[in-house]
Amino acid sequence: MSAVLLTAPQQMQPLALEFVVPVVSGLIQGSVYGLLGLGLVLLYKSGRIFNFAQAEIGTFSALFAAFADQGTGPFPDLPVPVAILIGLLTGVGLGLLVERVVIRPLFSAPKVTVVVATAGVLLLLVALGGFLSGPEPRSAVQIFEGDFLETSSLRVTDTGALVVVVLAVLAVLSALFFSRTRTGTAIIAVSQEPTATRLVGISVERTSALTWGIAGLLGAIAGILLSGTVGVVFPGSLTFIALVPAFTAAVLGGVTALPGAFVGGVVVGMIESFAQTNIPKDVLPGSGKVVLFVALLAVLLLRPAGLLGKET
Amino acid sequence: MSLLEVEELRTGYGALPVLQGISFNVEEGQTAVIFGLNGAGKTTTVNCLAGVLPTWSGEVRFDGKRISGKDAPGIVKAGIALSPEGRRVWPGLSVLKNLELGAWVRKDQKAIGETVEQVFGYFPRLEERKDQMAGTLSGGEQQMLAIGRAIMCKPRLLMIDEASLGLSPKLAQTVFQVVSQINDDGTTVIIVEQNVGVLPYADQALIMEKGALTFDGRGEELERSGELRKTYLGEAAAE
Repeated sequence: MSAVLLTAPQQMQPLALEFVVPVVSGLIQGSVYGLLGLGLVLLYKSGRIFNFAQAEIGTFSALFAAFADQGTGPFPDLPVPVAILIGLLTGVGLGLLVERVVIRPLFSAPKVTVVVATAGVLLLLVALGGFLSGPEPRSAVQIFEGDFLETSSLRVTDTGALVVVVLAVLAVLSALFFSRTRTGTAIIAVSQEPTATRLVGISVERTSALTWGIAGLLGAIAGILLSGTVGVVFPGSLTFIALVPAFTAAVLGGVTALPGAFVGGVVVGMIESFAQTNIPKDVLPGSGKVVLFVALLAVLLLRPAGLLGKET
Repeated sequence: MSLLEVEELRTGYGALPVLQGISFNVEEGQTAVIFGLNGAGKTTTVNCLAGVLPTWSGEVRFDGKRISGKDAPGIVKAGIALSPEGRRVWPGLSVLKNLELGAWVRKDQKAIGETVEQVFGYFPRLEERKDQMAGTLSGGEQQMLAIGRAIMCKPRLLMIDEASLGLSPKLAQTVFQVVSQINDDGTTVIIVEQNVGVLPYADQALIMEKGALTFDGRGEELERSGELRKTYLGEAAAE
């Protein structure tokens, strides 16, 4: 993934090549997975739903931000902050729309039906994105264009550094939201006992809408940041690049623990990165993914709830 | 004027009717007990009054105001709380969080701590276990928590569905005594029960059979009437 905003020039020392590069690369790459994983964990924690459309909500948001940035379609050529705002609102709007049109009518359906429905939403969004944007990659919105760190052997862009900071901040804020606020506790309560939640006066429908709105926002943040680091966005791009690693990050970290998405994302990124750097392609092609899934299996066997997860 | 007035209430599940048009009143400050065999419509009645089930026809007035048609949050805001059948506590939340969420509709959030203390006064066991996950409590403790959670919104009418189900006779009596204390403190109570051990606490007794009300009278009338107990609660209860 070219999202890794780091270079390892020829003059880099072996130690740096074997250790520093994978660490920094894994941190940035893993943070992208973690950002996407955060939305996945939120929806799983609140409703026991794995949302297959989460990454594509991010792609759609990034596409709309790009439309606004480039003055495409109904948008005039808007400044970057406004374009980003439009992208974020697109994510929130999509989250709310999916909840109202797909999730709410399936409240009493088996969870597997809801999960399959989110896969349907994913396919619909990919098709709709193709209709609106065309199949060719489109330049993504660039939040920053400078370098955060540049040495003779290492280069980290501002956007790359921003991804890490945003993930850390969002993971902490999300965890505080669930542990310290009444609304966060209410979202957990709805997932555990919807009838009892209604009986104390909490609107299950409003809580569900709020959750999906927040998940949409998280998806949009992930989409805009990831496409910014990659440089382009196209229908299905986030799903193709990051959905599976983000699922892995969520499961590895613990699907009921929001900070787990952060930890899981970073672990996934590092494992992938270390394997890619240290295992030659002719020995094990696709070593990053292979080692990653071996690690995932090990965690699931030894600690099924994930690194930070606990059954609630 | 009665606190709760139910007129010709009909409801059911899907297309299946359960309540055949029941009417009864409950006076403020009293304890009413609804008896009946399984399938008589007791739980359906309180679920409908609590807004969990829709009203098909008829009318429910609370403190003179029509509440039929309101959803569950609307009913709670009106001042009616239900401790549901099966307790339905939030297993992954602590006892304290369960109680705090029970006060969701209250505007005086700063006074919630006082009500928590009041609940701990009724059920000291809950205070000992306030940081424990509700799912790890015993059945009796979960029943206490469900009742405590229901009174957190400071209802004028508290409904308790199957308060003694699954509890030992001794624990059931403890729960009935606390409910009586809650009633003495000013909350009107409706208890759905099959356990005749609650009769001494009943000001009003109602008996349901096949979705209809077959007896509505004073608690002591039902207690004295061996025939009624024999007919509706079985031979053992009449002895």
